Amino acid sequence: MAMWLFLGSECLLFGGLISTYMLYRGRITQGPRPSQIFDIPFTSVSSFVLLMSSLTMVLAVTSTQRRDYERSKLWLTVTALLGATFVGGQVYEFTAFYNEGLGFTTNLFSSSFYTLTGFHGVHVTVGVIMLMALRGIISKNRDTGDRAEVVELIGLYWHFVDIVWIIIFTLVYLIPA
Amino acid sequence: MAIIERPTPTAAITLRAPVTPAQSMGIVRRPVTSTGWKSWVFTVDHKKIGIMYGVFAMFFFIVGGVEALLIRLQLATPDGKVLSADLYNQMFTMHATTMIFLFAMPMAAAFANYFLPLQLGARDVAFPRLNALGLWLLVAGGLILNASWFLGGAADGGWFMYSPNSGPVFSPSNGVDFWTLGVQIAGFGSLIGSINLIVTILNMRAPGMTLMKMPVFCWMILVVQFLLVFSLPVITVALVLLTFQRSFGATFFDVAQGADPLLWQHLFWIFGHPEVYVLILPAFGIITEVLPTFSRKPLFGYPFVVFSGASIGLVGFGVWSHHMFATGLGPISVAAFSIATMAIAIPTGVKIFNWTLTMWGGKIWYSTAMKFSIGLIVLFTIGGLSGVTHAVAPSDTQQTDTYYIVAHFHYVLFGGMVFGLFSGFYYWWPKVFGKMLNEKLGGWNFWLMVIGMNMTFGPMHILGLQGQPRRMYVWTEARAGEGLFNFGFWNKIASLGSLILTIGILFFLINIVYTARKGKIAPLDPWDARTLEWITTSPPKEHNFDRIPVVHHLDDFFHRKYQEDATTGELVQIATGEQLVRAEEANADAHIHLPSPSYWPIAIAVGVGTLGFGVVYGVPIMIVGVLMILGSSFGFVLEPSVAQDIDYDPPASGGQDTKELAPLG
Amino acid sequence: MSHEGTLPVSKQNMTIFGGVKSQGRLNRKKTAVMAFGVLFMAGCARDAPQDTWQPKGENASNINTLQWIVFPLAGVVGVAVFALIGFVLWRYRDKGQAIPHQSHGNPAVEITLTIIPALILSVVGVFTFRGIFQLAQTNDTQMVINVTGQQWWWEYDYPAQVVNGVEISQPIITAGQLVIPTDTKVLLRETSRDVIHSYWIPALNGKKDAVPGRINLLRLQAYKPGIYAGQCTEFCGLSHANMRMEAVALEPADFATWVANQQRNAQQPAQASLAQEGEGVFLNQCIRCHQVNGLKKADGTAAIAAPDENVYSGAAPNLTHLMSRNTFAGAAFDLVTSDCRKNIWTASPEQFGAAYLEGVSPKCLNQTNLRRWLRNAPEMKPMYADPTKLASSDGKYRGMPNLNLSESDIDKLVAYLSTLK
Repeated sequence: MAMWLFLGSECLLFGGLISTYMLYRGRITQGPRPSQIFDIPFTSVSSFVLLMSSLTMVLAVTSTQRRDYERSKLWLTVTALLGATFVGGQVYEFTAFYNEGLGFTTNLFSSSFYTLTGFHGVHVTVGVIMLMALRGIISKNRDTGDRAEVVELIGLYWHFVDIVWIIIFTLVYLIPA
Repeated sequence: MAIIERPTPTAAITLRAPVTPAQSMGIVRRPVTSTGWKSWVFTVDHKKIGIMYGVFAMFFFIVGGVEALLIRLQLATPDGKVLSADLYNQMFTMHATTMIFLFAMPMAAAFANYFLPLQLGARDVAFPRLNALGLWLLVAGGLILNASWFLGGAADGGWFMYSPNSGPVFSPSNGVDFWTLGVQIAGFGSLIGSINLIVTILNMRAPGMTLMKMPVFCWMILVVQFLLVFSLPVITVALVLLTFQRSFGATFFDVAQGADPLLWQHLFWIFGHPEVYVLILPAFGIITEVLPTFSRKPLFGYPFVVFSGASIGLVGFGVWSHHMFATGLGPISVAAFSIATMAIAIPTGVKIFNWTLTMWGGKIWYSTAMKFSIGLIVLFTIGGLSGVTHAVAPSDTQQTDTYYIVAHFHYVLFGGMVFGLFSGFYYWWPKVFGKMLNEKLGGWNFWLMVIGMNMTFGPMHILGLQGQPRRMYVWTEARAGEGLFNFGFWNKIASLGSLILTIGILFFLINIVYTARKGKIAPLDPWDARTLEWITTSPPKEHNFDRIPVVHHLDDFFHRKYQEDATTGELVQIATGEQLVRAEEANADAHIHLPSPSYWPIAIAVGVGTLGFGVVYGVPIMIVGVLMILGSSFGFVLEPSVAQDIDYDPPASGGQDTKELAPLG
Repeated sequence: MSHEGTLPVSKQNMTIFGGVKSQGRLNRKKTAVMAFGVLFMAGCARDAPQDTWQPKGENASNINTLQWIVFPLAGVVGVAVFALIGFVLWRYRDKGQAIPHQSHGNPAVEITLTIIPALILSVVGVFTFRGIFQLAQTNDTQMVINVTGQQWWWEYDYPAQVVNGVEISQPIITAGQLVIPTDTKVLLRETSRDVIHSYWIPALNGKKDAVPGRINLLRLQAYKPGIYAGQCTEFCGLSHANMRMEAVALEPADFATWVANQQRNAQQPAQASLAQEGEGVFLNQCIRCHQVNGLKKADGTAAIAAPDENVYSGAAPNLTHLMSRNTFAGAAFDLVTSDCRKNIWTASPEQFGAAYLEGVSPKCLNQTNLRRWLRNAPEMKPMYADPTKLASSDGKYRGMPNLNLSESDIDKLVAYLSTLK
């Protein structure tokens, strides 16, 4: 329940950031245009990686529900790795853009682009950290109440972050300004 | 993270007697101290947290009040020389910021934290450690906000902080940086607190308490928390954009780069208008408890009051642009927001009628708490009616940004919110501290506040309609006029009124000291009250209720005391409050579990505060802050849910019994 | 033009409004309310120049009509509610009666009490709707003026146009005082060069923000000649309180005279006069930011100001006809002595035009103010003009710095500025 409320709040956070981006995405006074630097195949692959992580998260949740903790540890690790791959891809992408002349302060488009996608990246990173902590909790076999519920809650967060990415990916990369 | 905490108060254990830790430094162990300063700093008890919220808020009420007095002193005469232009701008910015974020919201949080579980018949909130985290984040935010006074000047852009005036060019001191970070951090605290309170209300009501049998105070708090959950992220976005612009060179509000300065205003007011209801609704909740108690009648039209509160919350999200009628929105938007603003007056009017009709046919006891509640109805009505005059958008273009608006929102917020909070102080003081606030001093407190408040803010209606704009560090004879409506006379009256108001509030502080030293011990049910918080001792035990009450009615406590005589239909007292409390004690639960204190909430807050300073003073401090947050978050997540036996003195010798709370005799 | 009908009402209206307020203040002190009302009646001799209840033009009159609907209505509702509360408080005080019946309300009463305010508000809503669209109308505009706000003064730029048969052949640029012809629908196109400001002449219309990067439209119209006070009403930084403006309405014939004068270049001061020495000082110092049309450098070329190199907002008031305005520095200070000021502000509509067009005569010049300003401007009006603290604004000033002029330079400058009629 708390997680649902938190995610409701997060919706408005990303809503605000996306609105800012939509307002400013055409305002490019200097620097390269998005169409010149976006590498859509690359981003599509990393998006696919993130989507796959949702699948592995589901597998982690079901195996925890079956009390198959070895499996669930495995799937949590895979999910975290896929998430980390996505973040790594984003870091690579940012570096590439920066080298092509799109700094954070270059123009309004770049500021709002980096803020939006950066915020999302931070959410994925936090998710990865939570997944690792969860794996730690399970393997140390600490008494933390109903584990299945905890895994489910983090799963909920993870799916939310994925869905937000689908929206961002569509709006930022696929729909031309 | 909320994720591993269980919303059940039975998950953990504590001791009954004061204990000292034998080995308190074990890093993932939980502290067990229940005396001294550590019992406050590491506490997760909603009552202690509530009191700390209250103390914090009261301190900043005085700080904000001193700022207000300086403002009135400056404006008492034309071309005032008390403050420089720069200092004046900082003063009114910080007056508003302090009063809203560091007084009003924390004070409402104090009431909510303390009384919500008590009114719901619960032993604590859903997430006790998150509750503590919310408090300490607020403290961190408050400190950062006010640290700016000593580090090169406070924020000077007004609490609305309109861009581009808040940008790095136009406000070069660090004041605005501290402001954005302080508000941001305090906002995180509120967000965490509000999620916690919603879950508490929805999941932890006593058996039998359906939502429609819940006290209205809880309802109003519920609406407020939903407003916060959905409005805080919007201001977060605005603050993040502003911080990135100021500290990292982004251009979100740089017009030369093609930015739109109105973006800030929209984001700010989408948060800012619901915020108004965040401030006023807890006070509405308080007086909706007080009025029935002192009229000896149930609330008139309970469902209407509840639904009007909820609809105020809902419509409150759709009226933000009425703060922007003069910004050139275009006639269609202006008309739509104008109508929406009028619409929100209707549920507000419903409340005023219901309060009045609650008293109708009652048996009114004019205690100080009741006086403040009646004061709220009258003063808020004035503020509400002046509000309707600027729902009329064209009329608003004459009134906006003048003292008329200052008068309006002080009638609403001071006459409304502050009077409601004071009503709550007098009503619940005996519950929290076990002593009665002095009623005679309370009378002085009330009447001086009424006179002072009307003398201060009443003339501002005239000043505003005579064309004195707000936020001006001086006013000039040249624009003052000569008739009875001249600025000079009414500004003097307002300044004089602020002194009377100050004396009125001083009477409250005197009353606190007097009560602490010589106050009468409170009876268990001093007001012949109606709700569950009175079915336990004053102050309540750490575990609130000896036995979780089972609820059958709205105002259950009242119905346990009084019953209708079957033949005459008249109310007959069948028990006193005192007898009921004693009966609960006699039937106390044998096993009561409460959560252990924790180090980590305050540790995380310190980390967040450090990160905040890092944003202003450089990346190395930021990294330290992030590491502190990460470290303490792991501590938070991984700590055991109970203190270890060995930490208790004397160490618990294995058996469950020693750690459990025995009924207090 | 039905303004004759609406003009005198504001006095009474204030009484009604005051009555509402005093209800709250002195809820149970009826006599005091009465006394207060009488005082209000007696006290309306001369209101402040920014009174929002004395419309002097069509737009403000429209707003006033709406105020006239909503304020008395709010007053009546207020009195009714307070009477009800007062009655309840008196009637149901604790007289030792039994604990009342625990009634939980009456839906019929509830619904009625919801519908009544809704009905009242929908009536208000209809009038509001009409008012909003009335005030937004711009298609019958007769004159256009560009208004630009910056920290902390207003610039007026009259594009070339023909107004009521008067031709403005060259754009006019002036500051501080807006001059318009009477009975003419004037459209202000507002924008800003730095932060958000707000343009407000209460006697002529409500306020409209001047937002950088946007153009907002505001219509003004004045029934009679006169001078109407205003003030920037969006907080715009340090000297927000000192950012004032005045709108001057002139009969069409007087307006034509004013236009003709504004289109002239500044005259050369007489040879070997103090004023000519002052021109030298001006060329040495002031020309960096302030333009005087027609001013020539020693080598005979035109002297062009470069405020964009020195001032953050990129503009400084044009001083070509400084002495035709009777205020300076964002209309914050009088350029005329207080006696002369009074003559202009209290002149009858018939005499106003002549009094205003006379400008600042040597007799009327407020030497004290002008010299204080030239001696140290930021001391008189707070501005960001400390040369050591301009890092955030690219080394450019926001406002006029202290030029450290000698007293003799000031004498010369005053003599020169006095020639800028």
